Amino acid sequence: MKTLIKLTNLKKVFSTDEVETHALSDINLEVKQGEYLSIAGPSGCGKSTLLSLLGLLDTSSGGSYNLNGHDVVDINGKQRAAIRNKEIGFVFQSFNLISELTVAENVALPLTYRKDLSKSQRAELVTAALEKVDMNHRTKHYPSQLSGGQQQRVAVARAIAGNPSIILADEPTGNLDSKNAELVMALLDKLHAEGATICMVTHDPRGAKRAERVIEIFDGRIVSDSPTMPSQIEEAVA
Amino acid sequence: MDILSDINFALRTLIKNPKFTALTVFVMTTGLTLCIYMFSFIHGSIVAPLPFENGERIRAVGTIHNGMHYQGASFRVHDFEDLKKRVQSYEVFDAYDVATVNLSTSDRAVRYTGHYVTENFFEISEAKPLFGRLITNEDGVSGAEPVAVISHTIWQNMFAGDKNVLGKKLRINSKPTTVIGVMPDSYQFPSAGRVWMPFTTTGKGVARKDGHYVAVYGVLKGGVTDKQADAELQILMAELAESYPKLNSNTSAHVWTLQLAAMGSDTPIIILAMELAVGFILLLACINVGNLLFSRATEKGKETAIRTALGAPRIRLVMQMMWESLLICLISGVLAVLFAGLWLEVANRDVLESFPFDPPFWWNIKITQTSLIAAVVITLVTAFITGILPALKATSGDFNATLRDGTRGAQSKASGRLSKVIVISEVVLSCALLLLSTGMVYSVNQQNTIDYGTTVEDIFTASVGLPEVAYENDEKRQQYYQNLAESLLTEAEISAVSFTRALPGNGASYENIALDNVDYGKNPQYPSSSSVGVDHNYFAVMEMNLREGRLFDSRDKIDSPLTAVVTDNFVNKFFKDGDVLGKRFKFVETDKDWYTVIGVVNDVIHGQPMSYNIEKPTAFISIQQTPKRFMSVVIKTEADNAASVTGLSERVVDIALKVERDAPLYNVKTLRNSITARNAGMNFVSELFLVFAIASMVLAFSGIYGVMSNTIVQKTQEIGIRRALGADNSDIYKHFIKQGVKQLAIGLAIGLPMGVALVTMLEASSIAQGSLMLYFVIPAFISAVMLLAIYYPVQRALKMEPCAALRHE
Repeated sequence: MKTLIKLTNLKKVFSTDEVETHALSDINLEVKQGEYLSIAGPSGCGKSTLLSLLGLLDTSSGGSYNLNGHDVVDINGKQRAAIRNKEIGFVFQSFNLISELTVAENVALPLTYRKDLSKSQRAELVTAALEKVDMNHRTKHYPSQLSGGQQQRVAVARAIAGNPSIILADEPTGNLDSKNAELVMALLDKLHAEGATICMVTHDPRGAKRAERVIEIFDGRIVSDSPTMPSQIEEAVA
Repeated sequence: MDILSDINFALRTLIKNPKFTALTVFVMTTGLTLCIYMFSFIHGSIVAPLPFENGERIRAVGTIHNGMHYQGASFRVHDFEDLKKRVQSYEVFDAYDVATVNLSTSDRAVRYTGHYVTENFFEISEAKPLFGRLITNEDGVSGAEPVAVISHTIWQNMFAGDKNVLGKKLRINSKPTTVIGVMPDSYQFPSAGRVWMPFTTTGKGVARKDGHYVAVYGVLKGGVTDKQADAELQILMAELAESYPKLNSNTSAHVWTLQLAAMGSDTPIIILAMELAVGFILLLACINVGNLLFSRATEKGKETAIRTALGAPRIRLVMQMMWESLLICLISGVLAVLFAGLWLEVANRDVLESFPFDPPFWWNIKITQTSLIAAVVITLVTAFITGILPALKATSGDFNATLRDGTRGAQSKASGRLSKVIVISEVVLSCALLLLSTGMVYSVNQQNTIDYGTTVEDIFTASVGLPEVAYENDEKRQQYYQNLAESLLTEAEISAVSFTRALPGNGASYENIALDNVDYGKNPQYPSSSSVGVDHNYFAVMEMNLREGRLFDSRDKIDSPLTAVVTDNFVNKFFKDGDVLGKRFKFVETDKDWYTVIGVVNDVIHGQPMSYNIEKPTAFISIQQTPKRFMSVVIKTEADNAASVTGLSERVVDIALKVERDAPLYNVKTLRNSITARNAGMNFVSELFLVFAIASMVLAFSGIYGVMSNTIVQKTQEIGIRRALGADNSDIYKHFIKQGVKQLAIGLAIGLPMGVALVTMLEASSIAQGSLMLYFVIPAFISAVMLLAIYYPVQRALKMEPCAALRHE
């Protein structure tokens, strides 16, 4: 399978005054197309930082990052924005829907930043995405009129609307009850089954188990990378 | 204890946030200072009752002629006497006369304002002489010995404070007069007087058309309103117009408080404009501070939610927030009283120096007990308005959701709507206010730079009044003017001397005229024209342009047919076909012979350069044919700027005294100074509006910037989301600019017509003037403020990495 992401010795250092915090050190990671990857580890270990770097939401302090065949470390802000828009779909823990926009407008938002799509093409993609998450009956609702589970399904629809190369999910079930968490996880399973590449940060061992590969991070380093969930992760998470 | 701890908490919060506190106090102090200043100014000069027992009921009665309001000696004495017999609304209805009089003792002569009064005059003004006695009605009886009460100033200046002044003689207009009393320095009614004599003017034995003009005043009966008194006057004046159509057509009357009468008929509309402007500024300040408080309340949403969860009742939370706004407003209120007091003191001094007349005695333009009470009320109301909405809004959300941090969306949406409303309101208010203020400033600037139709800079002017006794006939008067001119021309710096009844920029007599061959019917509605007597060389000295015909010359003598030179406005108004030479007209009231038009000259502005004066027709008549006792002397200097000729005014006065010791020159000044002094009131108002304009610009800028900046800061997370979804910097700028432009468009769509309507309303009184330039520049300025208010906060937000923006709270 094609390598979608390749990180080599990736680093992230936060500097405050005279203190340097090494959030990530020498991260080497490859993600193949179609993989369902889970990133686990205790709080503060660097999971979300890694996801931010993968999603080009932050810049690394060293190392290289190849995304879909392109080196994306030294590109400018405009190019990063374009890659985020076309290659990456985000699902956040707190949904991050824009309260002033309707469900359909929220889903259409990343598509509006694409100059190559007509209005009707955008509408088709929005409808298709909402159908996939079974939210096409709520297109004109505002986020505040939806339950948490519904909001997260809309967020997933927004993430997949532009057919990105990879979906990055940061604790997608962190703000949901177990029933809604299960629905969202099932949705991600379904997307994976349809061929989507998913990279998910999660605390939830049940969620992590659903991925086909689990990366464990500790103190900013990858301490394990295995196709099955190691027992120590369960302990750490618990 | 709860209240004390809440106050303590609010104080701590303000101290901990010095920038926030300084900004809110600055904004609120600006609004409150203007408000307290305006209140004190209006109250001290116009609203506060006169300091007499019946002060609230004392009124001036003025005339309205062809829509123009006239104060002072504007009633023909016959009309006054008729009205006095019939009015029912007044306890006292009386008249006085005011005129400049020549006062001379054995060694000197001075010109002063004299009042011819009845007993009532002193009674209602609660006058008490320093010593001696006041004028009684017996003093006004025919054949009574001429007596006068003199002011403290005259007593000091002309009698060196001699305690034995009573019974001494002085010549008033060449008539020996006995001093019967001395008034204290503080006595002024209705304006600063220097000498008081018995009122003897009467219509008895005088043809109505030759009736002298007097000033009318009265004391309303208890319970009678101005409206009722006004209505009665309208009826009586209409009856007079019916009885005497030639003299009284187009003439009515109006009741004024003395305070308003002294400030002029345009005062109510100027006051309205000031109140509107100050109201808008205070509203802007309230919106700005309210918005800042609301932002803070939003920031502290979680703290409020925790307090709610711990059982704090909503009223307590609201009160806690209200204390903050109350403290801000109280600090601002104290500062505002100090600043307004200081400003009033400076303004008062400036006004006194720049006005061409002594300020009315009732002027008490300072922070008084009433203004302090008003300041407290305004401050408390402002604190309530500023604090209550943010407090209610901030405590009305779903605290449980806030604690769970789950539905921030719903709350943000509501606050987003509020922010939009605030920005739109800021745009509306600042646009209307800036248009109003700049329209006013622009208008006065136009007036100050207007062409009066004559040369101005190289002219010195003075007034002269010839004593009636010594100059009882036209020949003597003519001889005096000729002698004075010849004497003045001996001065090397003087190149020409002329005489006029009304200088440019000064009011001219506005009279009903009848055109030859026009039938005005039984109820005539005569047109009016200014009439200005001038010397034959006046047009040349004043560098006026002859359009057609000829100017006055030796043919226009005292015994030759009456002639007139008219202005362009006269021709355009009465002879639209332009064929005016040889046409005749006459002044209806004096009912003299017909005047034949011999020439046409350019327009000259008499009075303040308001549109109604600019458009007035004028007929110049020859003073050789009708020489008057009162005249303005026009002295043309060799210098381009008359003000640069040193010592000329003193020399001119000396020369005039040598020509006639009982006719001292007065009001000796350059024509430019005379015009500037006439416009002093409007210039003062214009300066006020300039302050309003600056204040509104500062508040609009800080307000719009504050709201937009705050809105964008609150949307930092949204910016992060948008960037995560692929928006680049230009997409983010575009998004916010698009939103801003929508608010701007709505705001301007309301504010621009509102401002234009206000300017148009004031344009009718020539108080403000709109211009396409202003209608373009002000919206452009507000748009620029809006763009800056979007650009900088967005730029700041974009400096964050998207992941940091996503985590922003």
